[in-house]
Amino acid sequence: MKETIFVMAINEALKEELERDEKVFIIGEDIQQGTFGTTSGLVQQFGKDRVMDTPLAETAVAGAAVGSAMAGYRPVADMMFSDFIWIAGDEIFLKAAKWHFLHAGRVNVPVVFMGAIGGGFKLGAEHSQCPESVVMHTPGLKLVIPSTPYDAKGLLKTAIRDNNPVVYFYSKALLGTAGRIPEEEYTIPFGVADIKREGTDVTVVATGMMVHHALAAAEQLKDKVSLEVIDPRTLEPFDIDTVVKSVEKTSRAVVVDEDTLRCGVTAEIAAQIMENAFDFLDAPVQRLAARNIPIPGGFMEEHVLPQPKDIIAAVEAITG
Amino acid sequence: MKLEKDDLIKLYKNMVLGRKIDQITIEGLATGKVLSFFHSGQGSEGLAAGVASFLRQDDYLYGHHRGHGIVYLISKGCSGMEFLAEHYGNAGGCCKGISGFHSVDPERGVLGSSGTIGSSFPLTLGWGLAAKKNGRQQVAVGCFGDGGSNRGTLHEAFNLSAIWKLPIVWVCDNNGVAQYTPITDAYPKEDIADLAAGYGMPGIVVDGMDVLAVHEVVQAAVARARAGEGPSLIEAKTFRYRTHSEGSPDVYHYEPRPPELVEKWKERDPIKSFEKKLLAQKILTKKDIEKIDKELQAEADEMDRLATECGKPDPSVMDNVLYAE
Repeated sequence: MKETIFVMAINEALKEELERDEKVFIIGEDIQQGTFGTTSGLVQQFGKDRVMDTPLAETAVAGAAVGSAMAGYRPVADMMFSDFIWIAGDEIFLKAAKWHFLHAGRVNVPVVFMGAIGGGFKLGAEHSQCPESVVMHTPGLKLVIPSTPYDAKGLLKTAIRDNNPVVYFYSKALLGTAGRIPEEEYTIPFGVADIKREGTDVTVVATGMMVHHALAAAEQLKDKVSLEVIDPRTLEPFDIDTVVKSVEKTSRAVVVDEDTLRCGVTAEIAAQIMENAFDFLDAPVQRLAARNIPIPGGFMEEHVLPQPKDIIAAVEAITG
Repeated sequence: MKLEKDDLIKLYKNMVLGRKIDQITIEGLATGKVLSFFHSGQGSEGLAAGVASFLRQDDYLYGHHRGHGIVYLISKGCSGMEFLAEHYGNAGGCCKGISGFHSVDPERGVLGSSGTIGSSFPLTLGWGLAAKKNGRQQVAVGCFGDGGSNRGTLHEAFNLSAIWKLPIVWVCDNNGVAQYTPITDAYPKEDIADLAAGYGMPGIVVDGMDVLAVHEVVQAAVARARAGEGPSLIEAKTFRYRTHSEGSPDVYHYEPRPPELVEKWKERDPIKSFEKKLLAQKILTKKDIEKIDKELQAEADEMDRLATECGKPDPSVMDNVLYAE
């Protein structure tokens, strides 16, 4: 094992996949320099044809990626901020998501859309979203949200090798966080949740930055309540079995997500817990997510996105 | 490329057969056999056959949404039976009846068709990018209409295709109207081909009613693209004989489209005028033309029969096609 940081784990996954398969290339705005560092340093090794800078044209970035994926390549489209996926809505939600199905499986679209999600930098309503609910909602898209360097690397490699469109969102606030990854090559299968902390009293389901908030809450509560923190790692496919197994033990669940509450990921997961683990529950499933307003900038941000204290309050509400 | 007698007859047959299938689709909608809708392409056969009849099998082609691409598809070698069966919702459709009206034939470079006008620009860009990367001298031909040219996606795709010198031929079917909106209220100049100058690519205007003229400019642009010299824009002036969508009002904005305008354009019908040329050049006799018409009608009727008789798909057809393995 070796020590690394989140951003370098992403960078290594890209580097290894570019080395492994000549059909892989990365395309996006200013990725040769890299806005977040995820793609930095790759152009020197792989050249401008495989680490392609584009002008400011998100629709064309996504379209070129989808089109070339259909024609035999494995592009990674770096959308920079996840908020920018809306600019390429047709390409991502109508084309990448639907065309394999629509054309009866006769074309494949093996593309990865990468984007930074979430708050932490006070960047306001159009640079802080977590548009994961709409991705999870759309049949045909897979959705990955890693929370550690280990997951970030292993899941990105799997995403690039997948024969389907995969949306890969990473929390920008986690890019500098450290973790250990194997020296040797590894991948992580989709649809397998990871128990980030074992516990006995309350199951907390969270992704991305919210995993760390849940772990912080668990640490603070450890003398009173034992939290089991489950990170699904991929929201589509979603590993409900691991969640149900945990709820069977704890009888209580809190679902945390950084996207907006209404019609959000937490609603879907809470409903699935209700459908699959109703008899085990001793209390209503608690949902925590961004308030039903746009993510504000400045000092207001922390009042809208879920914080560790909110998780503690939700746990206390059902453990009394 | 110099066209031999057989090539000329192939162009002619592609137009005639395409129009017959277009007509069968119109009638199928009237009888309830076609389940969705249909946007007839009658009037643009010269353009479609001129564009697609002599592409390489592995060249990528995005046909026009008019006629749901039928003349382009026939000309590229795709199955008319599968086209009809898809419109009938039947199991023999190119998408096994799942799509309702979309076309696909990856073996012939048709990677799908879109429900949103103008989304073909970024996709064609991607096909062109793949073609350049793979070094197999493939060309991507992206067809769109005057309506589609109003989309912002055009700019992003034209710009990148020119910067990257991609092997793409952009073809605009300017039939003068997008649904109910005439081009005079949708574009400030006479020629959409003028846009090309802004991207440093050739912009060519051609008479879309003249299949040979179209063939000539398209092949020149294809040769240029294959040689690595980058994209071109071709604008073909055509005319939409029928209304936007079968059963919808035939209007410019909200006022009836002048019938004399339609009649005037029909005098220059691409099939009839090519027929005259073939007769004058003694490539075909009147008797040959009658025979071809009869044969192609029988062929189209047989497609219709097979498309009808293959029957509904089982719902299980959808079970394993959300994701690829």
